[in-house]
Order: sequence, then structure tokens, then C-alpha cells
Amino acid sequence: MSDTQFPRFMVFQQAGEGEPLLHNGTVHAPDIEMALLNARDVFVRRPDAVALWVVPVDAIYSQTREELTQTIARSAKHDEAIPNPELEDYYVFGKLSQQAQATHLGKVNANSPQAAMNAAVEKFSDRKVLRWYVFPASAVLKSKPGEADPMFAPARDKTYKDQAEYPVVTMMRQIRATGHLEEDK
Amino acid sequence: MKQALQKPLAQYLIALADDELILGHRNSEWTGHAPILEEDIAFANIALDEIGHARLWYELAAELSDEDKRTFPDKQVFFRPEQEFCCLQFVELPKGDWAFSMLRQYLFDALEAQRLKGLIKSKQKPLADVAAKINNEEIYHLRHTRAWVRRLGLGSKESQRRMQAALDELWPYAQALGARLPGELELVEEGFVPSSSKAFGLWKKEVSAFLKEADLKTQEAKVHEVDRAVHSEYFEVLVKDMQEVAQTEPGASW
Repeated sequence: MSDTQFPRFMVFQQAGEGEPLLHNGTVHAPDIEMALLNARDVFVRRPDAVALWVVPVDAIYSQTREELTQTIARSAKHDEAIPNPELEDYYVFGKLSQQAQATHLGKVNANSPQAAMNAAVEKFSDRKVLRWYVFPASAVLKSKPGEADPMFAPARDKTYKDQAEYPVVTMMRQIRATGHLEEDK
Repeated sequence: MKQALQKPLAQYLIALADDELILGHRNSEWTGHAPILEEDIAFANIALDEIGHARLWYELAAELSDEDKRTFPDKQVFFRPEQEFCCLQFVELPKGDWAFSMLRQYLFDALEAQRLKGLIKSKQKPLADVAAKINNEEIYHLRHTRAWVRRLGLGSKESQRRMQAALDELWPYAQALGARLPGELELVEEGFVPSSSKAFGLWKKEVSAFLKEADLKTQEAKVHEVDRAVHSEYFEVLVKDMQEVAQTEPGASW
């Protein structure tokens, strides 16, 4: 069966000035502009953010540390698929532990995804990266600083209840045990 | 503020609030049913924003009417008889298909944006403050709904057909957005609120150009019912639905 879903975009979010962008999740959208809007709605309703980036999943080249050591064949194939003689900027992200979200490491200049990957591994050799991600800077759509207010400010002073504040589980247990809910004392 | 202006201003604010509330309620009907998960979340957020704006306007109205700010919004929403609501029929209409709901939200947001420009400059400071707060969210709503209207208008044959059908149905109702709000005449003179007809003029210019770009045609339409006391056939069921739970156990806490 063919995939009828919209394309996927990776979402990166910066929680505060000076903090690194972190991979936060994925959204579906018909195009990159809608992806940025969806990212805002899905991921920035509650937590703080100062910047959002979205990148088409197809534009991201990713390898684990293990793959990197033995992927000459694969990388050759990848280079073939995306020939690009021009040098361009690539963003580099890395997953630094199994639990952690991929974090922004920096930028490299390269003429193919694999060349960018190689340059990234060399440039950030001091970081212990489990999985690397590189993508051309031109593939990213970023929230504009001038739009930060309507994008992010409304979520900041919204009041909301944490899930734990609804004592549903306790209430259900009580009902199961006693057949009814005890009134508040 | 002059004593004599308190009542008209309260009426004006309640009309603003009722429009936001009923539109928010209608849009909340999409929750769990929107075309994709991301949009489900986004549109539920927008619905919630509108209901939040209604609450802010009701609270301001409470302060002008010697009512308790904490209980007044709930009283208005859950315990007011249907005949006392003063929303436009434009916001009462059933949610229709996705094109209809997106277009209605866009037309509403675009008018609100024009009106908020004036309200932000209101000589009534508390009103201006609330308007500024609301405006921040509205900028985003407009961006979202414009994105959809454009994509559906310029999308497939089917999406264009649905969008045009939605416009044909909504356009006469939308003309009522330019009608004067209760109490407006005196309030405009005092510099408290902007003139609705002026906001509507700017709205019409902007909206017409945008719709044209999205390959959608507007036809000269008669203004549908502008009297906010006259409701559509759909309104009674909507209010009953909205108030049912609260009225089952008044005063229950959640």
C-alpha cells in the first residue's frame, strides 16, 4: 500500500538563549511552512521555546557510530544519489546518549552529505556521539526572531493542570473497591 | 470613566465575547476529527484560544457591572438562557467540512485583527491591555488559517470546489461582521473602541484580495441578519449541548 501521509519533518527546538537546539520530534505537513506551524502547535503549547527549526526528513543524512566505521559502500551509493559539486553549509547534530535528544553541535562546509558527515566526525571528534545527523542549511526553515512573540509568548502564561492533578486513578480505585466515590471531607 | 458609559461598554464586550465563545465552541467540535493529528492539536489550540479570549472579555465586563469576575464568565457561558446570547449567526453555523471551518476562522480572524488594531489604542487602559494580549495569539491564528485557505484554494480540484462552496455559503453571513456592536456609537466617540464599519472596510479590501489570490471568487452578497438577538435554527441545540454538563450539577468542581 502506498503511503498517503504527508511528508515528515524533524523538529528542533531551542528552550532558551544560549542553549543548544534539541531534536524534539517529528511532524507531518504538506510543505515546510506548514511544518513550522504544526511544530509550534504540537511542541510549544506548554514548554518554553525561543526558536524552532524544521527539516524534511529526506534531507537528513544520519549514521550511527557503528555504521560510520563500515559504510564505504553505502556512502558511495549515497553520494551517487545526491551529486552536488558545490560546497555548502551543513548543520551537524549528534545524539550523545541513548536517552538524550539529538543536540546541535555546529556547522561544516562540504559538497555532499557523506563529505559533511566525514567533516563533522573530524571537527567534533571530542564529542562522544552515538548517532550523527547532517543536513544542508538550505533545507531548514527557522522561526524568525521577529515572530518570536506570537509564536512562543502565548504559551508562557497559560495556566494548565498537570495530569497528576486529576486524581482519576485514585478515584477509579476507590470506586472499584467500595462501589462508590467517597465525598470530599 | 463616566458612569453612563459603563453599561454600553459591558454590552459591547459581551458581544465580542459571545462571538469568540461560540466560534471556539464550534471549532472544538473538530477535536479528535481533524484531517491529521497535527492539525487536530493545532485547531483545538485555536478553539481554546478563542474561548480564552471570551473569558477575558467577560471578566472585563464583570468589572463594569458589579459582578464577581471569578464567577461571571461561567455564569454567562453555562447558565444564561439561549435568547440572551448576542453572537452573530456567522459563528453559529455548523462546522461543515474542513474547508468551511478554516475559511470561517480565517474571515473571523481577519476582522478581529482589524478591530484589535483599534482596541489596542483604546483610551480605556484595561481594555487596551487585554486587546494587546489577545492580538499576540491572533497574529498566529491568522497565519495558520491563511496558510490553509491558500493551500485549499490552490490545491486540488476537489479542495478548490469545497473552498468555493464554503465561501458561497459564508459570504452573506460574513457581511454582518461589519455591523455596529451593541453600545458602539457612544464608545467610538469617547475613543474607547474603533468603528466596526471602518474595520469592516479594511477587512473587505484585504480579504477580497487574499481570496482572489487563492483562486476564490466572492459575489456581491446581501447582508445577512445583523440583529444579534436573532439566532439561527442551529443555535438552540448548540447552547443546550454547551450547557448540559454544567447544568447537570451546578457548582461541581473539576
